Amino acid sequence: MSDRRDGPRALRVEIDQHEPMPLRGRFECSAGELLALVGPSGAGKTSMLRVLAGLMRPQSGRVEVGGQVWCDSEQGIFLPPQRRHVGLVFQNYALMPHLSAADNVALAMLHLPMAERDAQARRWLDHVHLSSEQQQRRPAALSGGQQQRVAVARALAREPKLLLLDEPFSAVDQMSRQGLYRLLAQLRSDLDIPILLVTHDLNEARLLADRLVVMDAGAVLQEGPPEHIHRAPRNARVADLVGMHNRFQGVWMGPSGRDGWGLLKWVTAAGGASEAGDMLLEVRDKGKIKPGQPVNWVVPGDGILLGAEGSGQALEARVSDARHLGEITLASLTLERNPQISLRITLAGPQRQRIGNGDRLDVRLDPALVHVMPLHPRPPLEVEQ
Amino acid sequence: MDWQAFSLSIELAVVTLLVLLPFGVLAGRWLARTRFSGKAWIEAFVVLPLVLPPTVLGYYLLVSLGAGSPLGRWLLDSFDVRLTFNFAGLLIASLVFNIPFIVQPVQRAFEAIPENLAEAASVCGLTDWQTFWRVELPLAWPGILSAMVLTFVHTLGEFGVVLMMGGSIPGETRTVAIAIYDRVQSFDLAGADRMALLLLVLSLGAVAASFFASARLVARR
Repeated sequence: MSDRRDGPRALRVEIDQHEPMPLRGRFECSAGELLALVGPSGAGKTSMLRVLAGLMRPQSGRVEVGGQVWCDSEQGIFLPPQRRHVGLVFQNYALMPHLSAADNVALAMLHLPMAERDAQARRWLDHVHLSSEQQQRRPAALSGGQQQRVAVARALAREPKLLLLDEPFSAVDQMSRQGLYRLLAQLRSDLDIPILLVTHDLNEARLLADRLVVMDAGAVLQEGPPEHIHRAPRNARVADLVGMHNRFQGVWMGPSGRDGWGLLKWVTAAGGASEAGDMLLEVRDKGKIKPGQPVNWVVPGDGILLGAEGSGQALEARVSDARHLGEITLASLTLERNPQISLRITLAGPQRQRIGNGDRLDVRLDPALVHVMPLHPRPPLEVEQ
Repeated sequence: MDWQAFSLSIELAVVTLLVLLPFGVLAGRWLARTRFSGKAWIEAFVVLPLVLPPTVLGYYLLVSLGAGSPLGRWLLDSFDVRLTFNFAGLLIASLVFNIPFIVQPVQRAFEAIPENLAEAASVCGLTDWQTFWRVELPLAWPGILSAMVLTFVHTLGEFGVVLMMGGSIPGETRTVAIAIYDRVQSFDLAGADRMALLLLVLSLGAVAASFFASARLVARR
């Protein structure tokens, strides 16, 4: 993929703004790739899209799409939205209430003669599966899902070089959402342009995106494929933002003796070493952390195994809370050796039938999946690749 | 029935509307779309003719534009133009008096348009002018229509300012409201009655029609 990110149709963004609100980060997206901007409300995701669409001029930064510079503060370049050929699906769609669905789409093609405009609008609305009767309705007479399809058609009718989707699924019900996911997947294969999706829904981001850009407080914290970010979050904040519940504190003790492995002392949140001071875990050593340094560490759900047999250190635990939710079970386990420490696991399939409140069981942490992070994050502009 | 006064009132209302409409739409849109520290003062000046007694407004116009004032004297000496006790003076009074009636409803109408529609239009490639014609103006139209009707009807019935600036010169400055007053003063109650009734029916009809039209326009969305 990385070679395509340098390609002529790629998006390259670098923003460094402090006023009126902080907005910093650097990321790239190749043609045909779907990049999801994720983070909590107020993280700056929508502001980032507005900069890309030309609706907001950054204090300092550069935006390049398909080899064309849209914004470069050093050279004083800032193309207005009209000259950018960008498709933007607004969060609440921003359809013109006085125009029919077809006229809304035609509005993006005012450079064409009227007859051709209408024909193209029909073609785009057919493409997003809106019936010819629905195409003549005004937005108020369409469902949320249908309105969203009109908004997508209008964005595509612009023949964009970059497609931006701002929380497009937030206002539609679960049923329409599934259909729209399929539509988006189809669009990705049809269009050979970078696509950016803003969402606060991590599952949605993981389902749809090739890569994630994690944002918080106006800054890009980490960029990478979802599984990479989940396996190796750059710091504790990223781990929290991508919904990793099993995050703990520790002290890095240095190499264990075995080549490529090191020792991690498990420390409780209160600060001191756990009562059983020998809670040492042998985990992968990447040689980046100095011995004696306090660390945060995470283990993804996949790295918590049930049963005493297998690799990794076995820990005795008790089920403190088990919630059976439809097809899955969410359980909290407290360690027998230190009840202050609790692990959260998600179970599916037959094994969840055996879990009940107060049950004792053995768990192991897969040492290969334990990820250790320095306590103090590096400055956000250095994006980890 | 004083048809001369009646046609003069209609003429005044039409000319007032034609002059004030472009100004009102631009000023109303500007006030709706911009924020700056002195905006409250400008809005207060816009509303002032609404709260000031018409005679006070007429008095100030008279003393500032009359032949005794520096401006009035300069206009008279340089261009031989007189702005009091004639149709031009009446028109100026009517324009000033109607500013809140046109600007305020238009401002509210533009404020009611979500800002992201203009952004969506610009992302669709529309210039500011195209956005104004194709998006903002159609959406603000019910508000603009009611502003037009209010201004028109209000001009037909205005009395105090017109009397101060124009007096009651038949065919020149005697509008229907002044004609009614003159009839009452000369105990011609039957004449006053007919004109008052006509004005009442006309005003009510125009306002009701504009409300029906606005409601239909809004319902079509």
